[in-house]
Amino acid sequence: MSVLRRAKEWEISESEGSDVEPEPSPNRRSETQSGAPLSESSSCTTASPARRRRTKEEIEADRQRTKERKEAREMQRAARAQEKEERRREQQRRREAAKELKKLRPENCIRSLNISIDPALLQQEDSDLLLDTLALLEWRFTIESQQISHSITWTRDLPQQGDEGQSSVEEDQVVLVLTLADFLDVVICVKEMLGSEGDETETGTGAVLSPLLECLNRDAKKVVTMLVTDFEADYSSRTEARSEGFPEQRLRSKLGMKNLDIEEVLVYLQLYKNISVVFLVSWQDVTDHVCAVTKALSKRPFKLLTEPSELPFCVDGSWAAGARVDRDGSGLGLVWSRQIQQLNRVSPAVASAVTESFPSPRALLQAYQKLESEAERKGMLTGLLVKTEGKERRIGAEISARVYRCFTAQNPQLVLD
Amino acid sequence: MPAPESVRWGRKRVLPVCPNPLFLKWLTELRDDAKEKGLKIQFTYQKAINSLNKYPLPLRSAKEAKILQNFGDGICKILDDRLQRHSRENGTVLPGHGRQRAELLGEQTTKQRSVPEIRSGGCFCLFLFIFVCFLQVPGHKGFMFKMELQAEAQSLCDGSCSAPDLGRKHSIWSSVRTLIQKNLVVKTHNPARFSLTEEGRVLAERLAAAAEEEEEEEEEEVVDLTGSADEEEEPQVLTADDDDEGPPVSQTASGMSGERLLPGSFDVVLCVDFIETTGGARHRKQELVRELQRNGVAFDVRKLNVGDFLWVAREKIPPVPGALRVPAGRELVLDFIVERKRMDDLCGSIIDGRFREQKFRLKRCGLQRLIYLVEGGGASASHLSLPEATLQQAVVNTQVVDGFFVKRVQDVRESAAYLTIMTRYLSKLYQNRTLTRRSRELEGDAGADATGSPSCSLISFEEFNHGAVKNKCQTVREVFARQLMQISSLSGDKAAAILERYSTPHSLLAAYDRCSSEAEKEKLLAGIRCGKLQRNLGPALSRTVYQLYCSDGALS
Repeated sequence: MSVLRRAKEWEISESEGSDVEPEPSPNRRSETQSGAPLSESSSCTTASPARRRRTKEEIEADRQRTKERKEAREMQRAARAQEKEERRREQQRRREAAKELKKLRPENCIRSLNISIDPALLQQEDSDLLLDTLALLEWRFTIESQQISHSITWTRDLPQQGDEGQSSVEEDQVVLVLTLADFLDVVICVKEMLGSEGDETETGTGAVLSPLLECLNRDAKKVVTMLVTDFEADYSSRTEARSEGFPEQRLRSKLGMKNLDIEEVLVYLQLYKNISVVFLVSWQDVTDHVCAVTKALSKRPFKLLTEPSELPFCVDGSWAAGARVDRDGSGLGLVWSRQIQQLNRVSPAVASAVTESFPSPRALLQAYQKLESEAERKGMLTGLLVKTEGKERRIGAEISARVYRCFTAQNPQLVLD
Repeated sequence: MPAPESVRWGRKRVLPVCPNPLFLKWLTELRDDAKEKGLKIQFTYQKAINSLNKYPLPLRSAKEAKILQNFGDGICKILDDRLQRHSRENGTVLPGHGRQRAELLGEQTTKQRSVPEIRSGGCFCLFLFIFVCFLQVPGHKGFMFKMELQAEAQSLCDGSCSAPDLGRKHSIWSSVRTLIQKNLVVKTHNPARFSLTEEGRVLAERLAAAAEEEEEEEEEEVVDLTGSADEEEEPQVLTADDDDEGPPVSQTASGMSGERLLPGSFDVVLCVDFIETTGGARHRKQELVRELQRNGVAFDVRKLNVGDFLWVAREKIPPVPGALRVPAGRELVLDFIVERKRMDDLCGSIIDGRFREQKFRLKRCGLQRLIYLVEGGGASASHLSLPEATLQQAVVNTQVVDGFFVKRVQDVRESAAYLTIMTRYLSKLYQNRTLTRRSRELEGDAGADATGSPSCSLISFEEFNHGAVKNKCQTVREVFARQLMQISSLSGDKAAAILERYSTPHSLLAAYDRCSSEAEKEKLLAGIRCGKLQRNLGPALSRTVYQLYCSDGALS
């Protein structure tokens, strides 16, 4: 277009001024969008009016075209910018999700846990041990009155959502630390309840049991562990108990009750209240238990989130280890052999028999394709010899059929066995 | 062939006039011919004749005859040739059609059933019949579960079969296997589903059409015969374990979900896995059983496919007069299961990886109240390969992370005491409750409810134990996932992600074939999103998989 126009101008023009017109090359045109037509039209009008006389329609058309082109470019640019923005946001989202997930990793999650300890526990002499240990581990803990006396509970900070303040959730684990006397109280209460054949939801009468059961009635999800320790015992008997390994025996005999009676109480606590009981020797054990629960709680969120439940088998196990493969593909031979072993009842010996004759999946499939009938393909591997200690056996029709179906079936839900 | 008048014990159905006289005639000829010549093939023909005798419907061609047992390609070809010859000579007369068929229908007395006895040849018809009945119900899901199939077969069998329970069961499942082999039925999914192939569907529909034309009055007669038959049959006690295809079904358990056990009609019995009583330190293991006996607990040793101890509510069945063995009652599994671990076992199982796998299987077994019984501690844990703290952490993890109830005891005697008292308590707990049978296949799992009253909607023991078999049938999809995971750094969630896009090896290989360049193949999987974070599989793994499945040469 511009060429035509210029030609006209050249033909018509006699002055030198028109030559000074800036280079209307296509490149320039694309860069200086709004500039060019205007300048052209303006230079048109400022220079000799005679030759530069473009029709109004032409100018209009020109403007229109450029406008359209400009709009198209704008749209393209906007689209690209939007894509870029979206990708950026997507990456941002994923980064944030990764960060959140990272926060849930046990080593980080533990920092979001807070251990709440009932002050009544501190009346025990050796309870310092617990506090010192927690302090040493740099885990957060507070001393505050608990719903259930003598208990230890946990809360976990939840990831901050936007501008909301830090919210936290109470964990379901509750640890009760009881003296032998307290536990005896519980036992007697339970026996009463059992004896009276009363309503299971009764809260009982004991000083320890009653508030506990009330609390459980309100929040059935709590998992209570009673740690029973003989705090009265002196140091020597404690070490004796430890070396014997069975503190329970001593504690039970100290209770002066028959084993069976105690067992009945324990089973009642389990079946009706989901309470478990552990007999321990000392505050060291109590501390160890509290630490173990804390560590377990720190592992839980991550595990629950990342456990892939779509696969119908457990992904842990020695079979899942996988073989290392280098960039150039070495190591795949072992992978191939292990792949065949994933079928039920296929031993390493059978797998190597197959991989020796068919050193890659492609080789196996090509061999199948060469055979005409399905029956032949099903039975292709039947006669391969398996080297086992001593006797030589064949792979057999059953395994041969299964391998065939495994690699050629189109229905993923088809059962192989 | 016996005349169609008398009904004898053992055969509840009168044999009709043969609906396929031509085939029969020719086979008999062939057999006699071979017999004369002393050829072994006479026995083959005889077997074919036996099968044909049991098949009640007219066959329209030799090809159709193939569905019967003992009818292979050879015999069918011969029959086909004969049929062709016959048609040419006598005009197109389909064997069994025309007059014979009319005779057959006309002669049907009320003593006949449209469904034959359960023996080898007849089973095919039975199953196709069952399938067709189900498939004709509008909105049917198109397949049947194992238990459904067995239940239907049982109820149809009950009237006519005199074979003992186990024999009948074998017969049923071996017929199913043959149906699969003959490509009429296909088995998919886990838990297993059975459905008809296209061929099977065609055949089944024809059978249904034929059956529709027959009378239905025979049902009443059959009930009569059934009634008297049961008294004669010797009741059998079934063992709970079975390594055959189908789970054993007791004589009375022909029903499915919804069956109830009323209060007072059942006992709570502890089941002890037999591995807990044998092997290893024998004397110690037997001590558990001795203790249980001493405590007077009602218990039963059997093979449990998951867990070490559980409880069943077993129907009380009075002994039948005149029979030594009491028939087995229905059994429903209570919602509790116990895994017992001695400290040294715990240590060993953590080291070899069984620990997590066992818990995984327990979590999926269908029971909600999981109990981990830990035996020993303290001194017994002090000289093991793993430090005691590690073991204790593992135990606490089992409670906190996996949601098991952890019960700690000192030794075998305490374990026995615990199990004894649990049994007594559970008896009491369930004593006034009505238990309803639920089928996991049909209804899925119940919700978890740790502290509420224990569930009264329970699975049958057979279904439970069968569903928990360790090396279950594998599906193509499952095996493919495991195969992919054989590449180091290809984890479970990556495998699951690949599977979402390509669920079989065939599918993946086909996709590779569709690629237009090697480079494209290399990158095929790179963009697949994996796991909760939706991360890319990445070019490196994509390349490794490509190398594995596309290399022509030998892998090293």
